[in-house]
Amino acid sequence: MPSKIPPLHRVRPSLIFLSNFGTNSIRAHSTSSVDQTEISHFANLASTWWDPHGSSRLLHLMNPIRLSFIQRCLLNGSPIPDNSSALTSPGKPDPPVEAHSADNTQKLRFLDIGCGGGILAEALARLPGTESVIAIDPSEEVLSVALEHARQDPMLTGGKLRYINATIEQLPKELEGQQNQFDVVTLMEVIEHVPRPSSFLTATMEHVKPGGWLVLSTIARTWTSFLTTKLVAEDILGIVPRGTHNWSKYINVEELREFFGGKEGWKDVLVMGCVYVPGFGWREVRGGEKVGNYFFGVRRGLKEGAGEK
Amino acid sequence: MKPIWRLRPRTAIPHLRNSAQSQFTALRYSPVPRTYTTTNVLENLYDVVIVGGGPAGLSLATSLRSSSVTSRLRVALIEGLDLDVGRKWKPSGESYSNRVSSLTPGSVGFLTDIGAWKHVQRNRVQAYHGMQVWDGVSGSRIEFNWDVKNSSTIAYMTENVNLVHGLLSRLEELGGAQLIDKTRVEGISFGEDHGTLDLRTWPVVQITGGRKLAARLLVGADGANSPVRTFAGIESRGWDYGRHGVVATVKTEDMPSVERTAYQRFLPTGPIALLPLPENFATLVWSTTPEIAAQLKKLSPTDFVAMVNSAFRLSHVDIAYMAKMDGGISQEYQWRQSVTPIDSAGVPSTVLEVQEKSIASFPLKMRHADSYISERMALVGDAAHTVHPLAGQGLNQGIGDVQSLIRTLETAVQTGKDIGSTLSLESYYSDQYFKNNLMIGVVDKLHKLYGTAFPPVVAVRSLGLRAVNAMEGLKSMIMKQAAGER
Repeated sequence: MPSKIPPLHRVRPSLIFLSNFGTNSIRAHSTSSVDQTEISHFANLASTWWDPHGSSRLLHLMNPIRLSFIQRCLLNGSPIPDNSSALTSPGKPDPPVEAHSADNTQKLRFLDIGCGGGILAEALARLPGTESVIAIDPSEEVLSVALEHARQDPMLTGGKLRYINATIEQLPKELEGQQNQFDVVTLMEVIEHVPRPSSFLTATMEHVKPGGWLVLSTIARTWTSFLTTKLVAEDILGIVPRGTHNWSKYINVEELREFFGGKEGWKDVLVMGCVYVPGFGWREVRGGEKVGNYFFGVRRGLKEGAGEK
Repeated sequence: MKPIWRLRPRTAIPHLRNSAQSQFTALRYSPVPRTYTTTNVLENLYDVVIVGGGPAGLSLATSLRSSSVTSRLRVALIEGLDLDVGRKWKPSGESYSNRVSSLTPGSVGFLTDIGAWKHVQRNRVQAYHGMQVWDGVSGSRIEFNWDVKNSSTIAYMTENVNLVHGLLSRLEELGGAQLIDKTRVEGISFGEDHGTLDLRTWPVVQITGGRKLAARLLVGADGANSPVRTFAGIESRGWDYGRHGVVATVKTEDMPSVERTAYQRFLPTGPIALLPLPENFATLVWSTTPEIAAQLKKLSPTDFVAMVNSAFRLSHVDIAYMAKMDGGISQEYQWRQSVTPIDSAGVPSTVLEVQEKSIASFPLKMRHADSYISERMALVGDAAHTVHPLAGQGLNQGIGDVQSLIRTLETAVQTGKDIGSTLSLESYYSDQYFKNNLMIGVVDKLHKLYGTAFPPVVAVRSLGLRAVNAMEGLKSMIMKQAAGER
């Protein structure tokens, strides 16, 4: 895999890090994982990001199923032994409150890449089993919406949730002599907007703790997904803003399996297909990953040095 | 098409100044508030503020405290009256309150789940297993009889104060809650931008004494004239029936001890119902014209009792005539009933006396709010809907609202949502609105269908009632519906 990618696009040098990343802001440099057209597309949607009937309604509705998939991954392999109750899916009898009240349980640290307006980041930060959430996005406009929205909730203003205007390549690999790694790194509906997914994933993987999970959601590149996500969702029903998706950038689950199969120590893979049923919301569908939207979770091996070839 | 819900027009969130620095300092929260106002506000932030300490509001507070998912939420309840009345309630076996509700097994199941039903004084609750409903013009009748052995109760007649007492006892058992009683809501406004914290979407309730409570979610359990609904800008539509409901606690001749029956007769002026209470007590609900209601309240106890007995036994023409009499009704009734053939098995036991000071009346209305939710606000109970009392569904609908809202809030907490956002609340609205609308509509149509003595309508409705009576399957379905089975 190429370790250094030639610069393709320039992002504005507006990189500011929060105190725990040091006050000396790192100079923004050109980066590989960002497509400027994508940035401006989402910047245009920024103002309606939190409108319940706005451009991101489908993502809001998707959030509970995202959390239950993350939960499923954590149940399949805990980043830190004896702590798998950080998240509770709806309908589960074991409430997150209990996990919170027992303060001796280890809480989880999340990194949300391409956080947008903060739909997933806010939810993760509100869960009692969460230690902290770092959420990054290359679009300054979108992040300002995220910050502005988080300010409305005292649960989020205590430092549990931090937003950084950065790409994954700009995120420091080390902090105070420690590797800057997380229990769970999430890439929700992001990879299909990235010009070079393999180098992007490689950069992302470095931030996953041994035993931690990389969880992503995306869309399979099939004729069905072309019809549903481009033609029906964008052009006919208009429930997704036009130009949100670029079908040729979609990634199939086999391609992801193949990619991670070539990485030492990234063996545990979980996949869940899902479909949006108007009027009912998002539903898990067996085999759905071969057709359209799906979640993909992959765990980094516990062995030191795992994840590098 | 009507919008699913209406959003209050909100001021657009201004983008932060271009200085990137300000974006990130904005999230740096200082634990030491900068100004006095901020201190005040931060100490008075609540996850849920409930306005109204009636059965609906207290059920919500109790279920929030008893659910392990929501018990950590900071909850306050504001009530204008003194809650000690319910808390220190010491009932006497010799009298019953005239404010009695018919709780369906579905409602009782929920009250059991939240741990409140065990605190309700069961010896003052009367279950009934049979229902006799008949047409006061044609005499067509429908009978519902549940099998007592299968403990198939239609409903539990419960004094509202008994339920309130049970809920308050349960709250105490759970370690109490912030119940702010004898306190009025002086005003509701939106919060301010405090820099680190932006409360411009948070409703702030100002109460007697000037204290302000900021609510992540403000719940209006504040009755038919809900100030919360008004603040939320939600319209409530419907009509007045031009009828008053006269209620009273009465004593009858001895009633059977195990199997009890509720009786309801549809008169052209409105239905009259007698519902059993323990021993030989019963509660009366008589919907009638405001003129007759006023007249009834003026009568001597003996004449009032005679009017009630007439209303279940004599022809609607007799009743209309007697309702205009100023006195001597008792003698008139004795004479008229002696010449009227009466099926004593189909009418309730004769009423002997009416409990002193128990006669009251209230205007009957149908109202339904356009929505139950808006950003950071939700309505439950009478604040959301008012239904004609003929099916005894008012309080059950309120408890159904609470049951649905608590389910919605639990899901929101478990999935990390902001419990005040419409995105969190919309499932409450979609679950409950259409269910309530159906019930309100059916009850409204029943009232209208039976509010006439016009012969063709009477003939058709009687035929319908007789047909339903003959079909056991349909009847059992209706009863399950009435019993709140899901």
